[in-house]
Amino acid sequence: MKKMIGFIIGLTALLTIAFFTSSNELETTEMDKPIVGILQLTSHPALDLIYQGTVDALNDAGYIDGETMTLDFQNAQGDQSNLNSMSTRFVSRGAAVMVGIATPSAQALANSSQEIPIVLGAVTDPEGSGLVANNDAPGGNITGVSDLTPIEEQFSLITEILPEAQTIGILYSSSEDNSIVQADQAIEIAKEMGLKTEVMTVSSTNDVSQVGATLASQVDAIWVPTDNTIASAMNTLVSASDQNGIPIFPAVDTMVEEGGLATVGLDQYALGRLTGEMVAAILDGDSDPATTPIRYLDQGEIIINEEKASELGITIPTQLLEQAK
Amino acid sequence: MDLIVTATAQGLLWGMMALGIFITYRILDLPDMTAEGSFPLGAAVCAQLIISGVHPLAATAIAFLTGTLAGAVTGFLITKAHIPGLLAGILTMTGLYSINLRIMGRANLSLLGTEKLTDFFTRFNLPGQFDTIFMGIILVVIMITLLVLFFKTELGQAVIATGDNEKMARSLGISTNQTKMLGLMLSNGLISAAGALIAQDNGYADISMGIGTIVIGLASVIIGEVIFGNLSFVNRLICVILGAIIYRFIIMFVLLIGLQPNDLKIISAVILALCLALPSIRNRFNLNFFQKKELL
Repeated sequence: MKKMIGFIIGLTALLTIAFFTSSNELETTEMDKPIVGILQLTSHPALDLIYQGTVDALNDAGYIDGETMTLDFQNAQGDQSNLNSMSTRFVSRGAAVMVGIATPSAQALANSSQEIPIVLGAVTDPEGSGLVANNDAPGGNITGVSDLTPIEEQFSLITEILPEAQTIGILYSSSEDNSIVQADQAIEIAKEMGLKTEVMTVSSTNDVSQVGATLASQVDAIWVPTDNTIASAMNTLVSASDQNGIPIFPAVDTMVEEGGLATVGLDQYALGRLTGEMVAAILDGDSDPATTPIRYLDQGEIIINEEKASELGITIPTQLLEQAK
Repeated sequence: MDLIVTATAQGLLWGMMALGIFITYRILDLPDMTAEGSFPLGAAVCAQLIISGVHPLAATAIAFLTGTLAGAVTGFLITKAHIPGLLAGILTMTGLYSINLRIMGRANLSLLGTEKLTDFFTRFNLPGQFDTIFMGIILVVIMITLLVLFFKTELGQAVIATGDNEKMARSLGISTNQTKMLGLMLSNGLISAAGALIAQDNGYADISMGIGTIVIGLASVIIGEVIFGNLSFVNRLICVILGAIIYRFIIMFVLLIGLQPNDLKIISAVILALCLALPSIRNRFNLNFFQKKELL
C-alpha cells in the first residue's frame, strides 16, 4: 500500500514538472549533428534493402553516421505496440528527419509529429493511406517514395513468357492494405488483357503453404504483389507451387531471387537510395516536404531466374533474356 | 522527461486493456485468448465509425459493446459447447480476424485528420501528450469506480466466487455459467474499448494490432502484483494500471539504453518470466529480505 502510494506520488510529481517545463513547441536539438530516425516495421529482404539503400545514399550525400549525422535505427519487428514508443523516441530526441519504412511505421511517425519532416520509404499509396493530402503536392510535413509496382508490365511479361496462360492466380495477404490496392489494380489489368484471375488471400505466413498449393492447382501462373507476409514466406510458396509446376511472377526482385520466375520489378535497393536522396535534400535545406511530390522509380527492370525456368521446363524468349538484367 | 510523459500516457491506455485481462486471468481464473481478437475489433469498429462521422465518444462506447459480444461468443463456447477455455478463446480470436477485416473493409484504416476523443482536451492547449494523460486518468477513474461498484454487488461477488472455487459457488446456488459469461463479456468489452482508444492514439487501426497484446496485458497485471504486493480489491485494480505504466517504462528504458530493437521480444519475455517466477523464488529460498519488505 505504501509502495503504491509512493509510486503514484512520485509519478505525479514527475508529470507535474514535465507539465510546467515542456512547452508545445518542438524541442530543438542540442547536438550539432542532425539526427535521422529510421523506423522499420519488420525485417525481411525487401525492407532491409530499402534501409540499406537509404543509408548508402545518405552516406554518398555526405551524411555519415557518427560523423556528420546521428543515425537512429528502430525496427519494431512486426509488433505494432512498439511503433508508437519508437516514434516518440525520435521526436523527443529532436530528430531532424524521420523515415518510415512500410505503411504502419509511416502512420505512427505521422501521428507523433506534424512538424518534423517525414520521408516515406516505400509506401504504396500515400494518398490512400491518408498520409498526404495529394501525391503530387503533399501539403504537410510528409513526402517520400512510393513502391507502386509496374503491374501492367508484369502482366505483359507473363503473357510473353507463357502465351498459353489463361488463368492467373493472385495471392496476397489480407492483413496488408498495400497488397489489396495492388491486387485490385491487377484484377482490372488482367481483365483488360482478357485473362481470367483466381484470387486467394492468406492471413499469416502459416497459411501460405496450403493456400499456395490450392491456388497453384487451379491456375497457369501465380502473380504476387509487394506483400510483406508473402515476402517473408516466399520459400514456402515456391515449394508449394513447384509441386504443381506452376511459375510465380512476384512484384519484387528479391522474391525472384528466392524462387520466383521473373518480374518487371522495382529494385528495392534503388527505392531505398531514392528515399535517402530525399532525406539528404531535406537535411541540406533544399527541399520542403509540403511541396515535394511523392517520387516513383521511373522504370522497372526485367529480372529473370533462368535456373527456375529450366527447372520448370519453361523456355524464355531470347529477346527477353537479352533485355533482362 | 518527454519520454516519461509518453510512457505514462501509453501506460494509461494499455492499463484499460490490462484491466480486462485482470478480470479473466485473476478474477475468473481463466486464461482468455479472445483478447487478441477483441482488441483489434474495438479498433476496427471505432475507426470505421469515426470515419463515417460518428462522435468519437459514441464510437468508443459502441466498440465496448461489440467487445462484450466477442466475450459472449467465447462464453457460449465454454459454457454451452463445453470447449476448454483456452481453446474457446483461440477460436473466437481466429474468427474475429475475418470479422475485423470485414468491418474495416481493408487491412489498415487511417484516422489521421479525423476527430478523436483526445480532441476535447486539445482545446486547452496542453503540453504534448498531456491530453492523452488527462483523458486516460479520467477514463481509468471512471472504469475502476464502475468495476468496484459492480464487484460489490451480489452479482459481482458471484463472479468472484466462481473464479475462487467453481464447485463451491455452484453449491451456493450461483449459476456459474452465467457469471463466467458475464465476466468474459465485461473483460472483452474493456479490451475492445482499449483497442478503440489506442487506435485513436496511434492514428490508425490495423488488422495485426492485436498480436502480442495478451502478453502486454498479462505483464501489466503481474508487474503490478509483484511490485506492489497483495492488496485490497480497489488497490489491486489501481496496481494493474500502474503495472501497465511500469511496463511502458521498461520498454522505454530498453529502447533508450540502445539495446537492439530486435531483442525487444526476448527482453519482454524474460521480464515477464522473472516477474512470474519471483513469488516461487521467494518461497523456495525463503528470502527474508523480500518478506520484510512486504511487511512494511
